[in-house]
Amino acid sequence: MSNNVSSRNRHHRVVLYSLLSLLVVTLVLPLVPYAVAELDPFAGKVANPGAEFWRDVRQRDRGVSGSTQVKGVDSGVLINYYGEEWRQFRMQRLVPYGAALMGVVLAVILLFYFLRGPLRIQDGPAGSQLQRFSVTERTVHWFTAGLFWFLALTGLILLYGRYVLIPLLGPEGFGVTATACKEAHNLFGPLFLVALLMLFITFAKDNVYARGDMKWLLKGGGLLGGHVSAGRFNAGEKIWFWIAVLGGIVLCVSGLILDFAVFGQGRVIMGLSHVLHGIAALIVIAVSFGHIYLGTAGVEGTLGAMTHGYVDLNWARSHHDRWAREVEEAGGVLTAEEAARRQGKLSASQSSGEPVTGESQ
Amino acid sequence: MIGDFIDGPLWYFSAAVFVIGVAWRLFAILRLRGRKKVLSKPRNTTGGGALATILRRFVPYREFATVSRGRVIAGYVFHLGLFALLFFAAPHMEFIRDRITGFGWTPLPYWGFIVASQLAFFGLLLLIIYRLMNPVTRLLSDAGDYVSSILVFVVMLTGCMALLQASEALRLLHLFLAEVLLIYFPFSALMHTFTFVTSRGFSGAVFYRRGVNY
Repeated sequence: MSNNVSSRNRHHRVVLYSLLSLLVVTLVLPLVPYAVAELDPFAGKVANPGAEFWRDVRQRDRGVSGSTQVKGVDSGVLINYYGEEWRQFRMQRLVPYGAALMGVVLAVILLFYFLRGPLRIQDGPAGSQLQRFSVTERTVHWFTAGLFWFLALTGLILLYGRYVLIPLLGPEGFGVTATACKEAHNLFGPLFLVALLMLFITFAKDNVYARGDMKWLLKGGGLLGGHVSAGRFNAGEKIWFWIAVLGGIVLCVSGLILDFAVFGQGRVIMGLSHVLHGIAALIVIAVSFGHIYLGTAGVEGTLGAMTHGYVDLNWARSHHDRWAREVEEAGGVLTAEEAARRQGKLSASQSSGEPVTGESQ
Repeated sequence: MIGDFIDGPLWYFSAAVFVIGVAWRLFAILRLRGRKKVLSKPRNTTGGGALATILRRFVPYREFATVSRGRVIAGYVFHLGLFALLFFAAPHMEFIRDRITGFGWTPLPYWGFIVASQLAFFGLLLLIIYRLMNPVTRLLSDAGDYVSSILVFVVMLTGCMALLQASEALRLLHLFLAEVLLIYFPFSALMHTFTFVTSRGFSGAVFYRRGVNY
């Protein structure tokens, strides 16, 4: 009897210990890899099948794309790895460095203005005038300049709007503004190519390197004092012209690639185009600040050359003496009244009554 | 609220001002015909002279062809581009079909819209700048000429900004400016859209009658 009881109790214990052991093994076994990983420093290097799968998806290390039924550029790429590089470049380099570049240029111009002031015409205005730019030249200049600044403003809103305009307009207001700017920027972009071509045809012949340009550069263009000889355009103007033209070519080509994404260009080419477009735009915009300063407040008597087309004789002798001499020898010096009449500034009673047709086209 | 007003009452008001204003001005011009009796014997047919002059003036005079070449090209490019945008841009065609005619036609494809808008902007911008830069055209221009040009420009610009129709605010802005343009139209130099026919026709008829090859 007692043997039977003892045998049953042993049996119960065996069953109980077996169940407990099974429970412990069930609970502990899954923890073994973690424990091993904790104790073994090399365990973390064990390839995770999931990681391998996602590496394939991201295509981080491979230049291959997957296969898909969907036909199209980059349709076999699930996640564009370079997109993240592009995003980081845009947010961490282009935006802050571009702002710094423009800010530094503006600061230097302001500093120069307050320290040096505007460059005055030597010996004061003579009164007599020379025609500096024809109607066609001025039309081409303002057509290009107008388009450039429209594109620059809309582009800067797209690049810096989230920092400047969201606090003012709110996210929704900025959303509308950004949409409008993007459409306008894309639409006016191709026109800039035409403008650039017109600018090049109109002004290139007078912007090639000539003797005396290096001397002009070495003397700092006379900005710090002293007179430097120059022809119709000085070396500084020529450098600006070529920055505008070459920068404009980069802007136009990269802009067209971004604008018309229907010629098989993939995300990588689009990303690179965006980078080039941004860098070129910020450089040309920054340099244009200097051009605008020297064309307006920086040099007395310059703005009229591009508005009504005429400059004072002493202005020409001060800044472009070789060109002034050529015009004087050709008999192109006009009295103040004649110049005013050609600019349409004199009324019929004040003028000689001759028709206003003397200005060259 | 403002959107409903722009989409509704202001649209009907501006359309009415445009139609009545244009009709009234054309009627005022046409009723001048025959007011003064011409007693001289006609040397030529007036109708033929009018038609010939209306057509001939589409081409510049040979003497001015070289000088005015840029302006003529810019003018044609602008007007043809604007015409294509106005009547063949898909959103415009839908608007005309739904709100005016009740029927539609095949609109321009997207690339056609882009080309037309590029041409229109190119021509308009060049003409505005040339008007400002040339002392003769500057003297001949008054404030109305600039207001007309700038109004047309901003209507076109806002239209392009609203191209994707992603924002109701941009669509309403474009429609509002178009309505302002419609109201301004009959009282401005924009009337040349219609009066170029009467103006050329009258000149041609008068001079042909006198035997002048005009």
